[in-house]
Amino acid sequence: MKRWLALSLIVLCWVGVGFAVFGRPDVQNQAQKPVPHHVERIVSLAPNLTEILFALGLDEQVVGVTLHCNYPSAAAEKSKVGTFWQPNIEAVIAAKPDLVIALEFTQQRDIVERLTRIGYDCLTVNVDKVGELFEAIEKIGFATGKATQAAKLASNLRTKLNRLSALMATKERLRVLWVIDREPLRVAGRDTFVNELIELAGGQNAIGPTVHKYPPIGSEQVIACGADVIIEPAMAAESLAEQQKTALEHWSRFKNVPAVANQRVYVIPPDTVCRLGPRLYEGVETVARCLRPELFAD
Amino acid sequence: MPDASDRSFLQIEQMAELLTPNKLAVRIVLGLLVLGAVMFLCSLIGTESVSLKAVFAGGAKAPAVNPDYEIFVRVRIPRIVLGAVVGAALASSGVVFQALLRNPLADPYILGISSGAGLGAMIAVISGLSWTLFGRSPIAIFAFIGALGTVWLVWLIGRLTGKFHLTGLLLAGVVVNAFFSAVIMFLTSVAKAEQVYATMFWLMGNMMEEDFVVLWTAGGCIVAGTVGLFYLGPQLNALSFGEEDARSIGVNTGRTRAAAFAIAAFMTAVAVSISGLIGFVGLIVPHGVRLVLGPDHRQLLPLSAIVGAIFLVAADTIARIVVAPAQLPVGVVTAIIGGPFFLLLLVRYSRSVGWLK
Amino acid sequence: MAEMNGIIEVDNLTFGYTPRNTVLRDISFAVMPGEFLAIAGPNGAGKTTLLNLLCRTLTPRSGTIRIDSAAVESYGAEALAEKMAVVRQEFVPIFGFSVIETVMMARTRHFGAMGFESKADREIVNRALDVTDTSRFASRPLASLSAGERQRVFIARALAQDTAILLLDEPTNFLDLKHQVAIFDLLKSAQLNENKTLVAVTHDINLAAQYCDRTLLLGTDGSCRHGQPGEILSAEQIEKVFGVPVFAGQVGRGRFFIPLGKFAKDAEQIANAPDGAPQQ
Repeated sequence: MKRWLALSLIVLCWVGVGFAVFGRPDVQNQAQKPVPHHVERIVSLAPNLTEILFALGLDEQVVGVTLHCNYPSAAAEKSKVGTFWQPNIEAVIAAKPDLVIALEFTQQRDIVERLTRIGYDCLTVNVDKVGELFEAIEKIGFATGKATQAAKLASNLRTKLNRLSALMATKERLRVLWVIDREPLRVAGRDTFVNELIELAGGQNAIGPTVHKYPPIGSEQVIACGADVIIEPAMAAESLAEQQKTALEHWSRFKNVPAVANQRVYVIPPDTVCRLGPRLYEGVETVARCLRPELFAD
Repeated sequence: MPDASDRSFLQIEQMAELLTPNKLAVRIVLGLLVLGAVMFLCSLIGTESVSLKAVFAGGAKAPAVNPDYEIFVRVRIPRIVLGAVVGAALASSGVVFQALLRNPLADPYILGISSGAGLGAMIAVISGLSWTLFGRSPIAIFAFIGALGTVWLVWLIGRLTGKFHLTGLLLAGVVVNAFFSAVIMFLTSVAKAEQVYATMFWLMGNMMEEDFVVLWTAGGCIVAGTVGLFYLGPQLNALSFGEEDARSIGVNTGRTRAAAFAIAAFMTAVAVSISGLIGFVGLIVPHGVRLVLGPDHRQLLPLSAIVGAIFLVAADTIARIVVAPAQLPVGVVTAIIGGPFFLLLLVRYSRSVGWLK
Repeated sequence: MAEMNGIIEVDNLTFGYTPRNTVLRDISFAVMPGEFLAIAGPNGAGKTTLLNLLCRTLTPRSGTIRIDSAAVESYGAEALAEKMAVVRQEFVPIFGFSVIETVMMARTRHFGAMGFESKADREIVNRALDVTDTSRFASRPLASLSAGERQRVFIARALAQDTAILLLDEPTNFLDLKHQVAIFDLLKSAQLNENKTLVAVTHDINLAAQYCDRTLLLGTDGSCRHGQPGEILSAEQIEKVFGVPVFAGQVGRGRFFIPLGKFAKDAEQIANAPDGAPQQ
């Protein structure tokens, strides 16, 4: 009995010493404070954030990007600090950043917490919806001292999108089935930025409101949804023609769906539509071209 | 009739088999030295090269001035300490569960801890809580509660089948695991993709905890837990022969089982809450140490803890560098290294293992 | 009638594994200190059950068991282990403990604060290994021994526990002739030299007749006879309880019994014998 008491006592003292020496564990630092000064070294932890940085003219200042940051080509040349899903904290530190920009989801939030605890300035933005994209552009612009460029980029983008909307408003909204995975079949639902993309491009989602954001659906729903157009973002940016052919073969069994009957299955390059970034307009336009090719005959 | 000199020779030979405090102390010290060396070496390995000179120059006031120091002290050292603490916890608990359940296939997660922790983590992620308690994220706390709550539930259910019914306990663990796993799968299907990914990623074993207080406290708890289990070493030896047999010798089996179970479950819950589910360590390290050094729990417990620490630190280092800049989940590495290594041990030492006959 | 001052006293013990069946019905007997009691009977009569009741592995439905004048339930695990050691039939080795480690476990309750044995413990263990002739495989793993050798190790362990009472469940089950006799000699000498009280469940009625002071004969019908082997063990009794005809003979002070079945060579010897009388 005595030795158990002794053990418990020692543990309590140990823990007490720990708290005394190291202090209470750092309360989580909400790294949302904007840093309105001129930054020299920026690390971006997401491809769309990288695109925003380059679009704001910060090419020189970007010193670290993820493996997935492939646009513009200059970005691909920058040193890599890990992948989008797993940023490598050692690489980030080795890049000696004075600002780290990340997205608001768990892995990146974790690494931002750790970096903040060590003392680095971090900015996290949420880019889940089109509206949030504009906010993010503004926030990043403000934090990097490029507020005017950010405003210009944002308004530019808005103008182009509005123009396209006006053009597409002349035609009826076609029903679009946006396919994320073929097997098992998963599509984009109403509560996604893809849905906003579709609507901006003058279409409407063939799928009604669902619980899931990216619901898995069965053949019944495919037939029932009556999609006029099926759009699939490609797996890789190369060999689009081949993927197009495979897609058509795969969908040929759904002969009753208008999209298949009219051969309106499109495989499109993924980067501009899967990434919510400054190339949003290109993405929307690509979709619009699929919906109403005749409007873009020029 | 053996004469006096024969007898003393026999006695010496016999004593060579028994564990003595000196022998144990020597082995523990050696083990700790090896652990220290491994930890130091591994802290020098990583995706970025770190110069020790820069490290010794000390930390700078502003970040980004001495990145070597920051990487070494704020990223690598905590990670290595974490690996040692978790490895020790899992290995010690593995020893205990194998002894209590008298089953060589037992590991720390067998009685529902894994699914309980997973469910806790999943609930934390889905509920989208962002508060922290003492700087610990909700995932860690919920996983801890989930793990302990589940194992307690399994213990209660197991007792329904009779006070000493081991099979009942195991089956209760299987049932609870299955049920909770089903709930997890259901939640997975309705959760957002990134929530699912986040939970799975966390569950696969992550080595990201860096807070010194957390590591210090966890380390203290694990060392204390191992010492406590060491106290129970002779009783655990006796329990290996069965409940009734142990009681005839004078061991208070109920108390021993409850204490050992509680300590092991607590250590596992702590480990899981700071690093997710890392498999294989709790299963094979006890076997490996037992194969080489014998089944005496007074030795098995401290040395499994040390070997578990060494193993996980080494595995984590490999996980960090083999597919840089990405990282393998450390559980993958423990399985890939652990499997063949264990087979090797098995082949070499199988002569001394009774249950393989 | 229960006698006073028995080191083991059983009064009106009744036990059954399920409410419907009863294995032991209203059993009473006492074991004097320093006595060697043999418990004999056919399979299913409840011999092992009785042993388990004595060491509190099972709880009786009714009746009392007293060890050294205190109810057996009043003893904690350690206190009971101080009084009695048990050698059981079954053994399932899970981990590869060696012989000497196994025997040393008997001394667990004497271990020091750090959980290690003392010199005195080691001497006791060595002696136990010597007398059971198991010293030569002290460092071998338990599972590598034959069943008979293992049995001797467990007897050594019980001896190392150094208790006043020894309960044994068929201690000579797997042993060859030499070791059967050696074990009974060993047990008897422990009884005589160290005044140990022995309760052994045995199938071997001949050895029981030669070595034991008293016999408890249990029948599957719930019958229970307690007394000296000379009174309890007769050809008629054995045939009634075991259900097999035996030829009884006299050695000197004790009797021997040879079971003779229908096709045994000397089967007709039994048919010619008057009931219960010893044969020449």
